Amino acid sequence: MLIISVSIFAMLSIKNLCKSYHYAEVRQDVLHQLEFEMSAASSVALLGESGSGKSTLLHLIAGLDRPDSGEINFAGYRIHSERESILAELRRSQMSLVFQQFHLIPTLSILDNIRFQAALCQRFDNHYETELIDRLGLAGQLDKYPHQLSRGQQQRVAIARSLLHKPQLVLADEPTGNLDENSSLEVMGLFSDLVKQAGSSLLMVTHSQAMAEFMDRRVWLHNGKLAETG
Amino acid sequence: MNTGFYWILKALLSHYWRHPWQTLFLTIGLVAGVGLWSAVQIINQHAEASYQQAQSLLGAQASHWIRSRRDEGIDQATYIELRRAGFRQVIPVIELEVSTAAGVSISIIATDLLALPETVFDGEQSTQDFSRTWLEFVQPPYRAWVPAVLAAELDLEEGTQLELRDGRKLPTALIQAREQQGRRVLVDIGAAMSLSGSNRFNYLGVGEITPAEYARLAASLPGSLELIENQQHLDLQDLTASLHSHLTAMSLLSFAVGLFIVFNAVRFSLWYRRATLLDLRLMGCDLRHLLAAILLETLVWSLIGTALGFVLGVALAQVLLPGLGASLQSLYDATVDAELGLSPWTLMQAWSITLIGLLWALTWPLYRQLQRSSFEAGSTDVMLADETTARRRLAFAALLLACLAWIAYAQIETVTQGFVVLGMILFAAAWILPFLLAQVLSLVGSLLPQRYLLGRWMISDGWSQLPALRSAMMALLLALTANLGVGSLVDSFRDAFVGWLEVRQSADIYLRATNLDYQQLEMNEINASWLADSNHRIGVSTRWGGRPALIRGTNPVAPDSTVFPLSRWQGDSPASALKAWREQPGKVLVNEQVHFLAGVEIGESIALPTDKGLRDFEVVGVFYDYGNPYFQFYLPDHVVASNWSHHYSRGIALWLNPQNKNAMQQAEASLKALGAQPGDWISQAQIRRLSIGIFDRTFAITAAMNLLTMIVAAIALLASLLAILHERMPQFAQWRALGLRQSEQLLLVATPLLVFCAIVWLLSIPLGALLSWILIHKLNIISFGWSMPLVWEIGPALQLAVVVFLICAVTLLSISFQWRRQMPQALAQLGETV
Repeated sequence: MLIISVSIFAMLSIKNLCKSYHYAEVRQDVLHQLEFEMSAASSVALLGESGSGKSTLLHLIAGLDRPDSGEINFAGYRIHSERESILAELRRSQMSLVFQQFHLIPTLSILDNIRFQAALCQRFDNHYETELIDRLGLAGQLDKYPHQLSRGQQQRVAIARSLLHKPQLVLADEPTGNLDENSSLEVMGLFSDLVKQAGSSLLMVTHSQAMAEFMDRRVWLHNGKLAETG
Repeated sequence: MNTGFYWILKALLSHYWRHPWQTLFLTIGLVAGVGLWSAVQIINQHAEASYQQAQSLLGAQASHWIRSRRDEGIDQATYIELRRAGFRQVIPVIELEVSTAAGVSISIIATDLLALPETVFDGEQSTQDFSRTWLEFVQPPYRAWVPAVLAAELDLEEGTQLELRDGRKLPTALIQAREQQGRRVLVDIGAAMSLSGSNRFNYLGVGEITPAEYARLAASLPGSLELIENQQHLDLQDLTASLHSHLTAMSLLSFAVGLFIVFNAVRFSLWYRRATLLDLRLMGCDLRHLLAAILLETLVWSLIGTALGFVLGVALAQVLLPGLGASLQSLYDATVDAELGLSPWTLMQAWSITLIGLLWALTWPLYRQLQRSSFEAGSTDVMLADETTARRRLAFAALLLACLAWIAYAQIETVTQGFVVLGMILFAAAWILPFLLAQVLSLVGSLLPQRYLLGRWMISDGWSQLPALRSAMMALLLALTANLGVGSLVDSFRDAFVGWLEVRQSADIYLRATNLDYQQLEMNEINASWLADSNHRIGVSTRWGGRPALIRGTNPVAPDSTVFPLSRWQGDSPASALKAWREQPGKVLVNEQVHFLAGVEIGESIALPTDKGLRDFEVVGVFYDYGNPYFQFYLPDHVVASNWSHHYSRGIALWLNPQNKNAMQQAEASLKALGAQPGDWISQAQIRRLSIGIFDRTFAITAAMNLLTMIVAAIALLASLLAILHERMPQFAQWRALGLRQSEQLLLVATPLLVFCAIVWLLSIPLGALLSWILIHKLNIISFGWSMPLVWEIGPALQLAVVVFLICAVTLLSISFQWRRQMPQALAQLGETV
């Protein structure tokens, strides 16, 4: 078993994590005794084949799902066993999630969407908001609604929303999966720069080697375990 | 409110701002449901308040009545003597029925305002206006206080005089509805006496009286008069309770239809917001905050629904009240104030029922939504799987409810219990409907050969539409069933009533004048040219079995006595029962009310209070007596005359000679010559017109509510289809991209919809018949004590089929219009890249 590099200052640490699903009474182990650590202000690309359990791992870290066994410790919290209200509080103030499908609130304006999570955790920085909007090229779109924007623009809104409250950890699941290659590279470059500038960590699920190159580390999920790659 | 909660609320409520159609439909559903319910509540409570108010004004003094034992009225001298003897609480009352020049029958009530206790006018006597109005009322040439509603109906303006059929005029009208006169015209006793040409009062009302005074008063009365307790108020409450229960049940049914729409709208609003709810949870919104926000949203909706619904309810009540008030007065002599009074309690009740309804509509979908893990909750597949589970659960609940209703049916004893069982049956039918529709789709799908691609496509589209149309179809089923069921009840009643009038009111003229010698009329040879037959009816008012009762004496060989419409009889046939009644002593005919409400059976002996004490009579027949709230006993006239010395005349029925073409004119001339006033007699045509008028007025409220319920159901269907349209727009765009024309798309969407509606319509026919059958054979008997044959015709069902088709057509047209508007954008978004 290959042990992922360990730091005593790990912001996120996962130990002996197991998760399985049952499909038509057949048990399928998705994660098996998985070990992982991630330090603050770092970025990691999580690679793997389709169905290897990348998204499942991301959901477990975000506290959106519960593991069968094992531990997930994040910023002093035991994600695997915390109450739903604590997990909600953590997601609200210490984490953010970016998905391939953007998950914007369709009935709120672009500006309200960007501000939403920062408003929820009452951590609001006007200067940073302006900077984010400018750097993501959204200045002319603020009064519009999500359906009036292209997919690339919608993903930029999702990125702005995920960073405005400067979370410790950004979890991204194929954030450029819906975009063409050029837009993907452009959005990804911006995204990784902004994450670094915010001092956040980024754990990104991707199956694109090109996107993974933007990250400090790359790990490969195979047979329920993680292995460090080049 | 903290910032986080504000933002959650903002995200949730922004849905309504961005989807005005859904907001509109939710509002309409709520407002229509609350409006219909509160309209009936307002009417019921207003009627009850009016009964009590009427009592406190003219009836506070009338804890007892002094009446003539022979219904001859009371002369003025007796009244003056009583007042002189110190009975200050005795007031005179005259009640008259007159016909206007336009042939409208109106009631006049007269009393002596000077004799009324001062408390009646507390707080008003000091005003100058009151003094002037009051003086004008009691002094010649008098004033007639006409309620505004009646004045409007008669097209009577203030300051003018109403002309009667015989050319006389009422005192100058003052449009005045302050008194509890209902639809009656109030005049001073002096004006009424000159109008009637008699110096006799109908009865004397007696105010609060001590036992000692009661004894002294009873002793002071001449033998021809009796002092009886005024139980009119109690009777009114008893007699009208069932009618009000029926109305309440109708309003609850309408509310249930409204509730389905609300349920539908709430479900859609959650369905649409499933992505938003998922996002909120992903961003770490606390579940408690989410729940609190949705509950707050519900509270706001309940307040909006109640406020607007109550306004609609008041407007509806104002439209329906005059007709119902007229019916209550005609049927029960119950006065309902024409001016609507509103109580905060009704508003609170409306709000409570709305909030409970909304919470009920919200609870299950929200529970399912929040119970799922975040990603499952947003998945369409999971939502569709939920639908299948929901259909099965609803079907199971429906079967359970149907079984419970089956068991409970035999135990029904009260109107409320009856309506609960009826509600169970209707809800069971509504709940099993989605399962039945799914079964039909499965069946057709399995029977359709693979090569019929279009047909299979339609079936698959039916499956897509079913979840969204579920609640709307249930609402439609309830509305159609209520329409057919209640419509059939009304048709049955109308048919039975008209047929009954033909038999029971077969005479050409009904004469009732106290100053005529009927025997002379019957015997006079001059009258033989126009008079073919007659029946001088006599009667006695009494109480029997806790209710007001009439013992009627009729000529047993008169034309209307030989064809009594019997529903139950002793012996082989109605004719043999009537023969026994005519020829054998001690036999009685009773109305259905006696049979059903007092449980009296054929062959049973009942004791009636005669002058010589209780006397037993054997029941040989039970006759139909539609709409009558009283118990009635029919005996041959000589039996009544020999057992009740204080019997009074109930008028005479006259049959004209059919060979004589001028019989009616000759009859009128003869009656005038004998001293009868034109208002003393009424023709059969007038009676029928009046009776059917009362009938139609009574059921106008039912027709109005049926119509509104259908409108509400139509809106539910429209809302659901528009919701489908919005949700499936990308799919429709794909179809278009595949080369489908709009007409073909419309056909694909319309066919399953029309099939669903057709199934619902078909189901509503037996259900409507069942509803009608239970209403007639169970609830009507419990409520009113009479039954009737069920009339079931296909005409109304076909009419409703046309209505349903029109609703579908309008809905599909609006879809077509929306497609035209939204399709270009949906097509542009197909395969969009950056």
